[in-house]
Amino acid sequence: MSKPVPSRGQPPLTAAVFHILLALADGPLHGYAIMQAVEASAGEDMRMGPGTIYGSLQRMEDAGLVRELTTLGDDRRRVFGLQPAGRRALEAEARRLTRLAALVRARRLIPGER
Amino acid sequence: MHRWAVSRAIYRGLLCLYPHEFRARFGSDLQADFADLLHARGTMGTWLRVVPDLCRSLPLTHARARASRKRARATAYHGETAMGSLKADVRHAVRSLVKTPVFTAVTIVTLALGIGANSAIFSLVNAVLLRPLGYVEPERLMLIYEGFRGSSLGKIGVSPPDFIDLTTLQRSFSSIGAYRTQQYELSGAGEPEQIIGVRVSASVFPILGVRAAHGRTFLESEDQPGQDVAVLSYGLWQRRYGSDPHAVGRTVTLDRRPYTIVGVMPASFQFPKRGPQINGEPAQVWTPLALGPFERSQQARGMMYAHTVIGRLRGSLPAEQAMREAGALGPTLVRNYPAMLQGPIKSLMVTAAPLIGEIAGQVQRPLLILLGAVGLVLLVACANVANLVLSRAVTRQREISVRAALGAGRRRLLQMLLVEGLLLTAAGGALGLFIGNTVVRAMPDVITLALPGVQNVGLDGRVVLFTFALSALTAIIFGLLPLIVSERRDLADLLREGGARSIGGARQHRLQAMLVVSSVALAVVLLASAGLLMHSFTKLMAVDPGIRAPRVLTMQVRLPQAGYDSAAAVRSFYQGLHDRVGAIPSVRGASIQTDLPVKGDGERRGFTVDQAIDPSNATSSAAVTWTFGDYFRTFGVPIVKGRGFLPEEDLENRGMTIVSRALAERYWPGQDPIGKRLKWGVAASRGRWQTVVGVAGDVVDGKLDEPPIMHIYVPYSEAVDPALAVPMAGLMRRMTVAAVTDQDVATVVAPMRAAIAALDPALAVAEVTTMAQVMADASAPQRFSTLLLGAFASGALLLAAIGLYGMLAFGVTRRTREIGVRLALGATRGEVVGLVVRQGMILTLTGLGFGVVGALGAARLLRGLLYQTEPLDVVTFASVPGILAVVALLACYLPARRAARVEPMAALRAE
Repeated sequence: MSKPVPSRGQPPLTAAVFHILLALADGPLHGYAIMQAVEASAGEDMRMGPGTIYGSLQRMEDAGLVRELTTLGDDRRRVFGLQPAGRRALEAEARRLTRLAALVRARRLIPGER
Repeated sequence: MHRWAVSRAIYRGLLCLYPHEFRARFGSDLQADFADLLHARGTMGTWLRVVPDLCRSLPLTHARARASRKRARATAYHGETAMGSLKADVRHAVRSLVKTPVFTAVTIVTLALGIGANSAIFSLVNAVLLRPLGYVEPERLMLIYEGFRGSSLGKIGVSPPDFIDLTTLQRSFSSIGAYRTQQYELSGAGEPEQIIGVRVSASVFPILGVRAAHGRTFLESEDQPGQDVAVLSYGLWQRRYGSDPHAVGRTVTLDRRPYTIVGVMPASFQFPKRGPQINGEPAQVWTPLALGPFERSQQARGMMYAHTVIGRLRGSLPAEQAMREAGALGPTLVRNYPAMLQGPIKSLMVTAAPLIGEIAGQVQRPLLILLGAVGLVLLVACANVANLVLSRAVTRQREISVRAALGAGRRRLLQMLLVEGLLLTAAGGALGLFIGNTVVRAMPDVITLALPGVQNVGLDGRVVLFTFALSALTAIIFGLLPLIVSERRDLADLLREGGARSIGGARQHRLQAMLVVSSVALAVVLLASAGLLMHSFTKLMAVDPGIRAPRVLTMQVRLPQAGYDSAAAVRSFYQGLHDRVGAIPSVRGASIQTDLPVKGDGERRGFTVDQAIDPSNATSSAAVTWTFGDYFRTFGVPIVKGRGFLPEEDLENRGMTIVSRALAERYWPGQDPIGKRLKWGVAASRGRWQTVVGVAGDVVDGKLDEPPIMHIYVPYSEAVDPALAVPMAGLMRRMTVAAVTDQDVATVVAPMRAAIAALDPALAVAEVTTMAQVMADASAPQRFSTLLLGAFASGALLLAAIGLYGMLAFGVTRRTREIGVRLALGATRGEVVGLVVRQGMILTLTGLGFGVVGALGAARLLRGLLYQTEPLDVVTFASVPGILAVVALLACYLPARRAARVEPMAALRAE
């Protein structure tokens, strides 16, 4: 398992991955809940279906960003949680986006933003 | 919500598009999410989201699945090539097979038995029943016979004037021809030998439709007396002429006369085909039939019913029509007979039969039955192999799961199991080939001689391939079963459960039980059949052949025309021979005769009896033997009334005859046969009346299981001069000389040969044999099939026992813990043993039940082969279950003992 963890100097995460990581930041969730959280945070543009959710989760698992947690309650649903590497990747991406947002504000590209 | 049921069903179906692992892992989650979406968004909204989701996620997941597979292969097997992995598999398979030697040995032997036996028998059946005759459209060929209604001799040959009439009268055939066997003394370069020749009318070769390989066959103009031409068989041409391409035109010396070779037949050509029909010995040389003026004349009516007539059906005429016409031609032929023969000849009939049936007819049923038996053995073998492989596979499920967990792809595991199955089958097949070949080579000559169309039976390649493929299929299918079973479940579950407790254990157990029961049932069928045949054989061997000839040596000589062209010369030769052989010190008595008793290949002649009880039945036919010397004492044939021939009667014809008891009782029951008279031919024939001076005991006539036919004995002097001088008759010119000795028969061979050579050094001696051998040959076919079936039955029983043992042993291993628990809870060891034995006997009894039903059916099929044995023979059907029970108990013994030895504490502790 050797896909390198994105960090400084690495290409940015895809939007889907970022939002999934974001959704898991507060705690482990199962698939449908992730879907709802992503829709809430990303809006109408990022509507993901179950296939994409789990497909991405699988790839992220390969990369060591998330982990399937042994279910304690409801057997029907698999629950995924952030791994430390995933948290680090999320933070790195968040920092990158913040930097970009600051640049955009400095250039006054978006009216109404201070 | 049933309104969403359709959507959910569709989605579930669409999930099949995902890679296998993805679906296995997330399938239930995907469906649950889909259901939640339906709740939240409704049908339309859900599908609007799901369809693009599918389009996006499918390539995603498949790509990932491919990558992960490649990674797994790389990590687990370090980047092997396909060939490299194959070699590793083979090595591993060999090692794992060697580690379980009992399983491997038993499987290989089982496969070998099934493949070998099946191949051998099927090759034989193929050679006899299925191999083409080698003639053009052989199904259009028919043989025409004559016969006398009410006569015990059945179909006899055609008399020459009748044949001539048939050529003009018949309408069903485009052409008919006649032929007759003629033995020749072949001389020239090399040892003189007696060969079989066949005299054919010019139409015979065209009827068969086969052209000569070199030269040609006969012309019409050559079918006349005095045209000394010959056609060689391929074998003869190879042997005596070194395959000389210029052999055509050279001469071949037959009976010391030169014949011009006009053609050589192809290697595949064989005519006539060996078989029960008249004139059924393949010829090495063909000469023209060349019927002379006597044979074509009215004087030849009523005699020489010795020719076989063959015809090719006209156009697309059905055989039945030819048969009907033959029946109608009988009376027409009779009208052509001279007036004085009209009365007695009126029972003359003509019949026609398809050639193919005449050749293969009698052996068809026994061979098919044999084929059935072998098929059963193959089934038993397959069932056993399946059982063995299944048991072993179940024990290996753990190993397979571990391999799968380590990353072995499905294809790789398949390959591994396939290689093992194929290795087993290859080894079994090689051994089977060896067994089959041995069986085929070991078949006694009498069998191959008795079977039509067979010279050298070799293993048929197609047969070997078929049985090989069948066995391979069995081994592979059952070997792969665990893999197919374990695919459906999470392999992790398998590992977690541990031990040899297997998934679907109940289903597997049932399957194994069925296999054991069926192999037991099949073994019972074979055992019962073998038992019946054995019983029949013992009855057959108890038949009194009618002779007592423990140390009698016989040889056959034939006098060619050259040097023996007068009756006097022939007589003086045989008288001299008799005296010389009788003078050999170790010989107690000698006799010369036209044919040997028991062999049943002698002359048949029509005769009429004087003062018969029933005058309308006075004419019949009987076997006839001409004797010189003390025939009856030499062969131990009892004279039950009157006397044997006196030496003077051998030299001078006094009109004496000796008849068999069957004849005396048929025509003069209750009366004294001595003094009664009979003559050759029909009542109106001008034969001389002969007086009965003695009645001899009945002798078996070729077939032990049939009652002896009527037999007439006449002294050699009775043979009229024309019969001796004319080479056409041939009968008196070929005699067997027999000598009784007190010592070992082998010591007489050289002196007898010397006696013959002293009279004529150029004479070929044939068929040196003993009467003991002749009698053994008479029962050889039955002995062989009994032995064979007995061998099969034993093999099947052994296999069934092994199958039972294997299953029980495996069961004990599997249930070790359960047994430990039982013992710990207070069961005695006896009860545990009883558990195992009971299981085994239940299976056995079930198999026995089915088997008995099958055996009853098989017995009905065997009816035609049994001699004095009822199909429902009590002895057989009572002893078979007994044998089976004993064998089954033995098979249960070892596993039961092992169960009894289980240590409860150890069993409970071991997982």
